Parts: sequence; structure tokens; C-alpha cells
Amino acid sequence: MANVRFDDITFRYGANTVLEHFSLEVESGKIVCLVGPSGCGKTTLVRALLGLIKPETGSITVGDRVLFDAKKRVNVPAEKRNIGIVFQDYAVWPHMTVLENVCYPLKKQRRPKEEIKQRAKRALEQVHMTEYANHLPNQLSGGQQQRVAIARALVVDSDVLVMDEPITNLDAKLREEMLLEIRMIQKRLNATILYITHDQQSALQLCDKMAIMEQDGTLCQYGTDEDIILHPANRFTFEFIGVSNFIPLKQDAGQLALDCGEMIPYPDAVPQEVQGGGYELGIRPNDIVFDGASPLRARVDSRVFLGSEYNYFLSIGKKQIRVQQSMLDARTKGVAEEGETVGVRFLNARFYPLKKGAETA
Amino acid sequence: MKKIGGVSAELAAVDGRKRLNMDKVMTAVCFVLLMIIVVIPIVMIIYNAFFYEGKLEVGMFVEQLTEPNNLGAMWNTLKIAIFTTILGTIMGVFYAWLLGRSDIPAKGLMRALFNIPYMFPPFLGAMAWDMMFNGRSGYINKWLVNLFGLSSMPININSVGGIVFVEVSYYFPFVFMQVVSALERMDPTLEESARIAGAKQRQVIWKITLPLVKPAISAGALLILTTSLAHFGVPAILGYAKRIYTLPTRIYEVIYNSGGSFDGIRQGAAISVMLVVVVALALILQNRILSSGSYDIIKGKSMRPTLIKLRGAKIPLFLLAIFTLVMIVIVPLVMIVLISFLKAYGLPLEFKNFTFAQYEKVFSANGTIASIRNSLFVSITAGIICMFLGTLVAYVVQKIKPKGKGVLEVISMLPYAIPGTVLSIGVILAWSGRIAGINLYNTIWIILVAYLARYLSFSMKTSSAALLQVHSSLEEAARVCGASHTEGLADITLPLIRPAMVSGFFLIFLPAMREVTTSILLYGPYTRTLGVQIYSLRDAGMIPQAAALATVAIGIIIVLNTIVTKLTKDKKGV
Repeated sequence: MANVRFDDITFRYGANTVLEHFSLEVESGKIVCLVGPSGCGKTTLVRALLGLIKPETGSITVGDRVLFDAKKRVNVPAEKRNIGIVFQDYAVWPHMTVLENVCYPLKKQRRPKEEIKQRAKRALEQVHMTEYANHLPNQLSGGQQQRVAIARALVVDSDVLVMDEPITNLDAKLREEMLLEIRMIQKRLNATILYITHDQQSALQLCDKMAIMEQDGTLCQYGTDEDIILHPANRFTFEFIGVSNFIPLKQDAGQLALDCGEMIPYPDAVPQEVQGGGYELGIRPNDIVFDGASPLRARVDSRVFLGSEYNYFLSIGKKQIRVQQSMLDARTKGVAEEGETVGVRFLNARFYPLKKGAETA
Repeated sequence: MKKIGGVSAELAAVDGRKRLNMDKVMTAVCFVLLMIIVVIPIVMIIYNAFFYEGKLEVGMFVEQLTEPNNLGAMWNTLKIAIFTTILGTIMGVFYAWLLGRSDIPAKGLMRALFNIPYMFPPFLGAMAWDMMFNGRSGYINKWLVNLFGLSSMPININSVGGIVFVEVSYYFPFVFMQVVSALERMDPTLEESARIAGAKQRQVIWKITLPLVKPAISAGALLILTTSLAHFGVPAILGYAKRIYTLPTRIYEVIYNSGGSFDGIRQGAAISVMLVVVVALALILQNRILSSGSYDIIKGKSMRPTLIKLRGAKIPLFLLAIFTLVMIVIVPLVMIVLISFLKAYGLPLEFKNFTFAQYEKVFSANGTIASIRNSLFVSITAGIICMFLGTLVAYVVQKIKPKGKGVLEVISMLPYAIPGTVLSIGVILAWSGRIAGINLYNTIWIILVAYLARYLSFSMKTSSAALLQVHSSLEEAARVCGASHTEGLADITLPLIRPAMVSGFFLIFLPAMREVTTSILLYGPYTRTLGVQIYSLRDAGMIPQAAALATVAIGIIIVLNTIVTKLTKDKKGV
């Protein structure tokens, strides 16, 4: 186990800058999820860590071992970095059986035969693939191949385990199981796991810490999952993690109003700087509650029962917003019917400066 | 995520400095070898066509260009190639559709049989047709004259039409094989949706199926065109008697008449330039006419397409297909075998005239065994060297992607478009003592060098296609698992492309075994190849002996092909 430190990493493909002065520290013995939209540079960062590409500037350290340092001209070759990886496209070798795939890293470490056998067996058990040991990859489903890739990464005691979207091809139940399994493996090995995903749901389920990357390759927030949900650093994080409604705020006849195609006065208090308009109100569906006493009226367009909650689409003026009502709330206050006009109240609203060009929307 | 290219180059950059950089070495080796094998001969042709003793001298070139015989040959070459391409393409597409998409009986067997014309050496086919329909002495011609009391021979195969006919018979499989496999891989729902949308069967064929397989047709047609333009055997065997020349046979004639003197070779080089220009023009024209879009609708996995019911036409079409096969495979084969047993050419085909003496004569002549040995040696050696070199070039182009990879690709594919005859002249000019005193003329090595240039693109293509399938993450995964760059190559990439390398070998070995076009200009007294030996026996008038050796050659080819099919069928998975 070891911590991983990226410091001042810059990487370009020709003229296209993917990462610029990027720094991130992954704490030892934690599962850290690196979350960001497609193309934000997550995979590039991982490839730099693995030694498959060479950044222009900066350094990468695992524990107290410097793997890469542009200034000191240190660059440990990929095969000597001792990092386990589960690739996005599994990269299971098609000409080797499952067992041969899993044994390969150990063979390259020149371990004794008996040990290789034991550890491969153990790794296959962990991913429930023991009975497929002698199958060739093309006899396996995508999910099974993915599990072989995970076993192959687990079989050596790596300082750090990197998983690049490792469970996207599994069905929901197996995905849940694998997430638990990854969690247990982490506990047992006390390994540092860097988990790359664009799926915030599994990230929330798995991680100790989350790092959110923006489209342009900058790190916009690093913290616990609670932190990120409850105190998003900016509009990007707020919008990227979870579902959110946005309504522009404008000054209308000396009063702050919601711009919903028509101007609807906003009843609640707002911070000083928001008073003048030019801001946008952001609110999560489960932060909107029905309140008959509220002056803010909305019409119920549709209601869907989702098992643990109700999902509504409401219209305020001409703007449609999404509202979630928990079962508890529904039991105590009852549900709203389609076509009904209800009062709503915004709890925990956030305000972000209006994006340029979005004002007419 | 961004797709990342040039991975191995980056891997190399990572462990550079300390060790000798393997990628750079491989790239350099590719450039040097291609320079020696391909570039030098081509440069030598151009140089010698326009320069004499270090001075620019275009007089000889202009003289050759305006020589009526050469112009006539050029015109013949074009006529033959264009007609062969058009007719061969039509025939190939028709039979591909018939065997790939209709409910014609005995389809599996027919498919196998329709691959035979591809294996059949065209110049042996030409020999057989000449025996039957030679304008003066063809056996069937004579028989027809007797039967109907005709005053002259009814069919004259020694004509442009005859040459086209024979070339079409043996080149249509180029289109046939491409189109059949495209038809099989085509997503049947594309046709089904057209039917559901209200199109009639005939409209589906014209509006959906044919346009979708157009790239395959175009690729096959291109192969016919370039092969026919460069082909020596058929026009040589059928045309010489009536003084019908094509550019390849004209080149041979010029060099042969000059007794292999330098002047003759220079004239040959000048005509070669003409031939190269014709091929280039044909390629451009072809590109214009059949500029092919690339479609993604052809899926890699095989699906079961819906078969079209032929109904009443079923039996007639089946008989037509059988008749075609009999005409282009069985009849020539039987003819060659029959002639090989004749005491003397021209005697009636009666049992009392049959003998084994020709076989004895052929095999007691020491040239014959040597020619088989030579052919085996050059074909196997060329196959093995090309297999490795082609894979190396493919790896450099596909995975290392150095600066100038485009140049590398073009150089390695160049001989594909350059006629074998032309290549031979380049090889003669380059390796008969003019460069660094290396003189390979009259040795087996000069044939080997020419084969390397000629066939390199074959193995490069198959290895390239295989490497494209090997995603770079596979090698990267090995690196991360603790394998060095070399180990990653040896453990992962090479095993994955091994089947393609093996098939690349056979793709070279089989045609090289029956090759005449290139070796006819390169052979020396002790370095005749099998093809050259048959050709010279026939040229010397010993037709039954030539037929006997041809029978043996066909036997060898059939045996080898069977072995190859068995071997490649056993490969599973991967």
C-alpha cells in the first residue's frame, strides 16, 4: 500500500492539451474514484501513471518511489512500476486460457510454480471464475472477460490497483457484487485503488474519496462523497453529480424573479450578490418539497413511482422541473395528482453566475 | 476517452536512453531492406531508360516509344486487359451471387470447385487451349474440320479474343472470391428491410446488394486489371505464333533477341517504362470509375443470409455452372494429360499412340529435377523471408508509426502495381555487377531477390490486417504485468498474428511455385524454375514433354493446396 502523487503533470497530443499542470494526491489505503465526463483526461492520467505515455512536465510518485520526474529525468519503465490495472477493454489475451492469463504476471515475476498455482486459484475464486479456468476468452461473455482482467490485476500484490471502468459490462446484480468484492479486496490487501469511471452512481457506492475532473482536464473538487454531494465546489460538480434543475434569475419590476418563460417572483431570501439577477438557481429534485402555503405554484405534468420514491415533472410557468418525493414524505403528506396545481418550496437552493449565452434560454 | 495511437513508440520513449531502442532498429531495418529490395531496381529502370553512361539520353526512349511494334504491343496490352477485366468481373460477380445467394444445389462442393481455376496456372491453361484450338494444328479444330468437312479451322485461339478468353477463365476467381466473402458477411437485414419497404427481388439485387458489395467488386477488378496488364504466360503462348505481342512479351522478345546484351536490356527498360505508365493510367482510370466508398455494413461475423429461390432457372443455371467448370478446368486438364502420353505431338489421340516415354524423357533430363528443386527452394525461401519482413514492415507501419510511415507503406506496396517483367529488368540492372560489384546474374539469388520484391506486399497485407485486430492494450497489459517490450512482442503480439503469418507464407509460396513472368527473364543455364522449364520445353517444340511436366506441376500444386487447406482449417479460435 502506498499513496500516489501526481504533481504538475502536463500532457499534450500534438497541439491538443489534455492535462495542464495537473496535481492530485491519492491517499494510501483508500479507494479513490476519479470521475469526469468522457474525454476529460482520466485515461491519459492513468496511462501516465502506468508508464505507457510520458508527460511533458511534473512527477509521479507512489509511496516514496519516484516513478516519473521530468526534471530529474526519471522514468521507470512500465514493467517495473508494479501497478495493477484493469483496462477498459479488458485486454484479456485471446490466445491464452483464463488460467494462463491470470498466471502471466506471476510468471514474469519468476515466482515458484506452486505459489503461482495457489495465487491464481485464489484470484479466480475472488472473481467467481474458477470453473472457467481452462476456457479461452472467446468462449466467455464480456462480463466474464472483465472478471478475468480483474483477477489478473489482483493476482500480484501491487502497490496500487488502477481500474478503468472495470464493471461497465456487467449486469446490475453482478455489478453490485463486484463493487462489494472490490471493497473487500481493498480491505484485505489494504490496497490503494484508483477507480476511473464516468458513472457517478457506482462511484458513490464504492469510494472513500472522489476526485471530480472537468471536461478541460482540470481537477475541480477532491473530497469525500458526502462533501461533494452536499458542498459542490462549483456548478460543474453540482450538475455532474446527480440530477439538477436550473432556473435563471432576473430582476423584474424591482423584484427578483424566476425566468420561466414568464416572470415568477422568487419568494425566498437570496444572498446579497444574487439580488441584482444574472444568476441561475440550481436545485436538486429531492430538495423541492410540496407546501400548500408556498406562493410558488406549479402544475403536476406527470408522476412515476420508482419503488423507493416518486418522480414528478412539474411546470412552473413554461419551465419544466423534476421533483423527487421520498416514500416517507408521500406517506405523511400524500402524493400530488397529475393536472393538480400545487405549492412548492425550494430547500437548499444554490446560485451560480449565469453562463454567457444561456440568458435567452 | 481519447483513442491513443502510436503506443509502442511511446513505450519505446519510456525505456529509451538506457538500452538500444528496439523500435528504432526495426524501423531502420525496414527502410534499408525495402531500399535494397524495391527502390534500387525501380530507380535503375528509370535511370537506364533515360541515361546512358551518366548522360541524359532520351533518343533511345523516344525511338522505342515510336517503334510501331511497341505501340502495337501497347494497344494489345490495353485491349486484352480491359476486356479481360470487364468480362472477368461480370463472370465473377455472377457466379459469386449464384453460389453465395441462390439456392443452387450442391453449393459447398461448387464453392470448392470454383476455387480451382485460381490454383490453375494460366499459362498451362493457355497451353491446353492452344493444343485444342490452335489455328493450324488444334486437335478439336482438326476434328471439327473432319466432322463437318470445313475448308478452314473454325476457331483460332491464337488471337486477341483467344487470349482474353483464356485470361478471363483463370482470372475471374479474383472477383469471385472477394465478392462471395463480402456477400457472406453482409448483414441480411439490409436486404430484408428493402423487401419489407416494398422492393421487388430484382430491385433489391440492383439497388441494395450490388452497391453494397461494390468495394469488393472493385478490389477484385483491380486485381484482374493489374495482373492482366503484367501477364506474360498466356499472351506468350497464344500470341507468338501469330506475332501478337503485348508489352510484357515484347520486353522478353527484345531482350531475348539481343541475347541478353546491355543494349537489349536498356531497350527493355524503355518499354518497361511504357508498361508502368500504362498500368498507372489504368489504376487511375479504375479509381475514377469505381471509386469505392467504404461501408460499415459488412460485419465481421458470419450471418445466414436469406437465399433467393431460382425456381425454374435452378437446373439450367446449375448446368451452366457445371459446364463452365468443365470447360475451364476439366477439359484443359484432360487435354494436357492426354498430350503428355502421346508418342509425338500431332498424332491422333488414339490408344495405340500412347506411351509413358515422355515422362521418362522429362525426368531423365537433368534440367527437370533441378527446375523442381529450384522452384521449391526459391518459393520456400521467398515465402519465409517475406513472411518475416512483411510482418516487420506491417508492425512498424501499424504500431510504431514512425515519421515517414506513409513512405514505407507506399514502397512496400509498389511492386504490387509494377509488372513482374518490369521488376525483373530492374533486378537485372541492379544486381549484375553495377552496384558495389554485386553480380547475381545467372544465379538463383537474382530470382530470389525478384520474388522478394514481387511478393513482399502479399505478406505485408495479411500481417497488417492481423495487427489491426490486435488492440494495443493487449501489449500494454503485458507491459504492466511485468513483461519487457521484447517479451510483450514475443508473448502476446507474435502469437496472435502467427496464423496470419503462416497464411501469408502460403499466399507467396503457392503462386511462386508456378511463376513464369518474372523468372523467364532471370533464369540462367542452371537456374530454370519449374514454370520456365515447361515454357522452354514447349518453345523448343517438345510439346508432349512440356505436357508431361505440366501434369506433374499441376499434381504438385494440387497436393500442396490440399495440405494448406488442411493446415489452415485446423487453426481454431484466435
